[in-house]
Amino acid sequence: MKTFRLPDLGEGLQEAELVEWRVKPGDEVELDQPLLSVETAKAVVEIPSPRAGKIERLFGARGDIVRVGAPLVAFEGERDEDAGTVVGVVETSASVMRDVTIGRAGAPARVIPAVRALARKLNVDLGMVTPSGPDGLITAEDVERVAKILSEVEPAEPLRGFRRAMARNMSFAQAEVAAATIMDDVMIDAWEPGADVTIRLIRALVKGCRAEPVLNSWFESATLSLRRLHKIDLGIAVDTPDGLFVPVLRDVGARDAADLREGLNRMRADVAARRIPPEELRGATITLSNFGTIGGRYAAPVVLPPTVAILGAGRIRRDVVVRNGEIGIGAVLPLSLTFDHRVVSGGEAGRFLAVVMADLACA
Amino acid sequence: MAELTLVEAVNAALACEMARDESVLLLGEDIGVNGGVFRATNGLQARFGRERVIDTPLAEGGIAGVAVGMAAMGLKPIVEIQFTGFIYPTLDQMINHASRLRNRTRGRLTCPMVLRAPYGAGIHAPEHHSESPEALFAHTPGLRVVIPSTPARAYGLLLAAMRDPDPVVFFEPTRLYRLFKQDVIDNGEALPLDACFLSREGGDVTIVAWGAMVREAELAAEALEDEGVDAEIIDVAAIKPFDVETILRSVEKTGRCVIVQEAPRTNGFGAEVAAEIAERALYSLQAPVRRVAAYDVVVPLYRLERQYIPSVARIVDAVRSVMEGS
Amino acid sequence: MGLHTSIDAQIDLVRYLSPEGAPLVSPLPVGDETLATFYEAMTRARVFDGKAIALQRTGQLGTFASALGQEAVGVGVAAAMERRDVLVPSYRDHGAQFLRGMSMTECLLYWGGDERGSDFQGPRLDFPNCVPVATQIPHSVGAAYAFKLRKEDRVAVTFIGDGGTANGAFYEALNMAGVWNAPVVIVINNNGWAISTPRALESAAQTLAQKGVAAGVECRQADGNDVVAMHDVARRAIAKARAGEGPTLVEALTYRLGDHTTADDATRYRDPDAVRKEWTREPLTRLRAYLLAKGLWSKEKEAALLKRCAEEVENAVAAYLATPSPRCDAMFDHLYESLPRALQEQRECARRFSKEENGHG
Repeated sequence: MKTFRLPDLGEGLQEAELVEWRVKPGDEVELDQPLLSVETAKAVVEIPSPRAGKIERLFGARGDIVRVGAPLVAFEGERDEDAGTVVGVVETSASVMRDVTIGRAGAPARVIPAVRALARKLNVDLGMVTPSGPDGLITAEDVERVAKILSEVEPAEPLRGFRRAMARNMSFAQAEVAAATIMDDVMIDAWEPGADVTIRLIRALVKGCRAEPVLNSWFESATLSLRRLHKIDLGIAVDTPDGLFVPVLRDVGARDAADLREGLNRMRADVAARRIPPEELRGATITLSNFGTIGGRYAAPVVLPPTVAILGAGRIRRDVVVRNGEIGIGAVLPLSLTFDHRVVSGGEAGRFLAVVMADLACA
Repeated sequence: MAELTLVEAVNAALACEMARDESVLLLGEDIGVNGGVFRATNGLQARFGRERVIDTPLAEGGIAGVAVGMAAMGLKPIVEIQFTGFIYPTLDQMINHASRLRNRTRGRLTCPMVLRAPYGAGIHAPEHHSESPEALFAHTPGLRVVIPSTPARAYGLLLAAMRDPDPVVFFEPTRLYRLFKQDVIDNGEALPLDACFLSREGGDVTIVAWGAMVREAELAAEALEDEGVDAEIIDVAAIKPFDVETILRSVEKTGRCVIVQEAPRTNGFGAEVAAEIAERALYSLQAPVRRVAAYDVVVPLYRLERQYIPSVARIVDAVRSVMEGS
Repeated sequence: MGLHTSIDAQIDLVRYLSPEGAPLVSPLPVGDETLATFYEAMTRARVFDGKAIALQRTGQLGTFASALGQEAVGVGVAAAMERRDVLVPSYRDHGAQFLRGMSMTECLLYWGGDERGSDFQGPRLDFPNCVPVATQIPHSVGAAYAFKLRKEDRVAVTFIGDGGTANGAFYEALNMAGVWNAPVVIVINNNGWAISTPRALESAAQTLAQKGVAAGVECRQADGNDVVAMHDVARRAIAKARAGEGPTLVEALTYRLGDHTTADDATRYRDPDAVRKEWTREPLTRLRAYLLAKGLWSKEKEAALLKRCAEEVENAVAAYLATPSPRCDAMFDHLYESLPRALQEQRECARRFSKEENGHG
């Protein structure tokens, strides 16, 4: 405080006579140091200092009658802590508010509440109902029609576990990502017999990332920022009877072929045994889908945010090829690169794929 | 029984209650010798004396404040504010004191006063004489707000307001003051302050209105009849607290609701009605609840008055929309 | 009353005790026995005041408006009222309210955030504290009118601060009091400050009392720290009103020795030296000096009085602290005479979400 007043003397006493000052202006005092002595009806009392500080001014002289609440001593320095109000208490804190960007929601179904309640009652998902009302309005008749149809087919089972997660993730990815795809074929006749296809793909992909690092990054759409990543943690799409898993093989750019093969095998075993921990399914920086082991040539696989690229490899086939202007038969590996065009340009994607293909074409 | 205009009905109610209850007194500007600028208090000073019918100084805030003091000491002051445009200075006393005197003294002191004023547009008046500020008062806990739509209802509701132990703001639609007459039985019988009135029974759509808009709603209903739409009209009358049950039951029956309000649209009392319907009768609705209200503009001077006040055409248009489900 | 083309306004300043407590007339218009009771009443008010501040500082009472230094105004005026009269206070008038029969516990409950503090068990018809400045003056005039209409010989007495006299409600009500010849006494507690605004910035009028001239109301000024003057002036004004001779505006010149409220810090805008000087003119010292000089008081009596007051205050504080918080649904009580249907649902909601809280926060 800046101004110290004569405090409550107790026992209802309202005033005292100033006997003697123990300090003078300019003095530095400590907490509890006696400032003055006063005489009440009962006794002579020392008044201690309520704080440490420098005395600026004294009020009153020896012999004065001082009343409880009257000013006694002014300390140098800041004013009394400003309550900043004359009524109540205004709470203060040092917390700072940060702005939050809000995303956009999709368009809701047009349906009046009574019809919505009907749909709920008949267990009809409004998303399945084709509206027949004006301006896309779903009518009660529409709901009843769909209810009848659904009653004649198998009951819907809610998706569970990984299938449910896949449904969610893919919906989200589809809504978010501006996907574009480049496809090409690469001739792999130079490969040694029994070459490890996955390891070759990984090696090539690493080279691609070195050439065009933007494909190994995370995009944060809410703030439109790009996080470039140095490590390549590769998500590998694995198909199991329980559905699609994408476990992550860590730091593939820094590991040799043997280490990678061992890691892959361990990963597949863990997935098959359903003992892969959740943290191993997170944090991919780029994804590889070797769907060719099942079948198919080209694809436009789904880019999973926050990654911006997924490389798909189709089934290796023997096909008619042109070598040095001559028709022949060769081993062809089809490649599909889907990238998030919000972040990756066609040029970057093309160059990435070219490097991948160049590496795969080698021995 | 006599055929009275709305302002004559007000006069009759005031006279009735002043004769019946000595503690009732009137105060306001020009209400004594002049009988009030609309003659609502005509003849009352001659009959009851200058001490009970007071020509006050020109000071709306002060008038409302002395009324609070009188009411707290057991009188029943009936204050006339000359026009709703001049009612705003009374907000201080009505909101800070009248509405809460009972509550903040735990019932030890109460405030049984009435504040009455001519209300609404439509009389080609100069500026500030056409306001509809009922929402300001209705938003205040502890006040009652009442708006009659006919002479008979004005008579019965004003009696009820004067007999109510709590403060009542009583708005009298100015353009209905002498627009038509109605049989009014001057028998001192009050109407209830907690019930809506059914002005017209119908099955296709519920039109909720109050004050001068009730009549516009009736005209709209006649026009709609020709289109095969049978409208039910509810005159809310007691805006605060209001009888939501009657409105909900009607909406449950018809499934469609149009609210007609002379006050500006946004944050008006109609929004309250719409919110209650959405909360408690949602599944009965076949169409959105529509409000037909004055635009959210400053009340224009009288040349644009007719374009400002919600018209029968706008009401009919809104009803047609909801009949189509939109 | 006819029309006048000029007026000659003369307002006397009434004082009977010098700041040192010396009588300026003999005999004083108030007897010594009575003066001793005034001294006790002022001391009670001051001891309570100090305790209330201490309670606020320790978080046991909400914001409190101290009347330190203004005890003579409240006590002098209230002592001149009859039981059947009605007090219409501002929010710094507990000195007067205690004399009217409001209990210390009720006062604490009010500032402690409980409406029951305004449900006075003693003065059933006195108005509660009024926070919106000056809006109590119309109430007092309306109450006075009610007495007059019903031909009762009762008077309404009201207080207002110097800042309040700048407000429209004050002027309007004063004007009506004049027009109606209402039996009301309006006392201006001119303590020099409206929060941080000094009296000189509230009006260019030389006195605040002269505002009565504009309303045709008799104006008087008194030394607000001289309880003899306050009581005498109030007594005359109340008698005049009771006799049907109309209202009086009384300006009491005093000083706000404390802060505006416990949340205010007056050192932001007042020189402590100036405050210290005002302490030399304060009302309790003045009257005590007079009583001591006449042999009617002593150190022993003082000690005994302070002890009595301290005990009374402690008991009141104990009763206040022991009062449990109202039930949460109490906020629905007394909204209207009976709770409308629409609100019963809301009350159920409040009940469902309420937690029991005891004590004070």
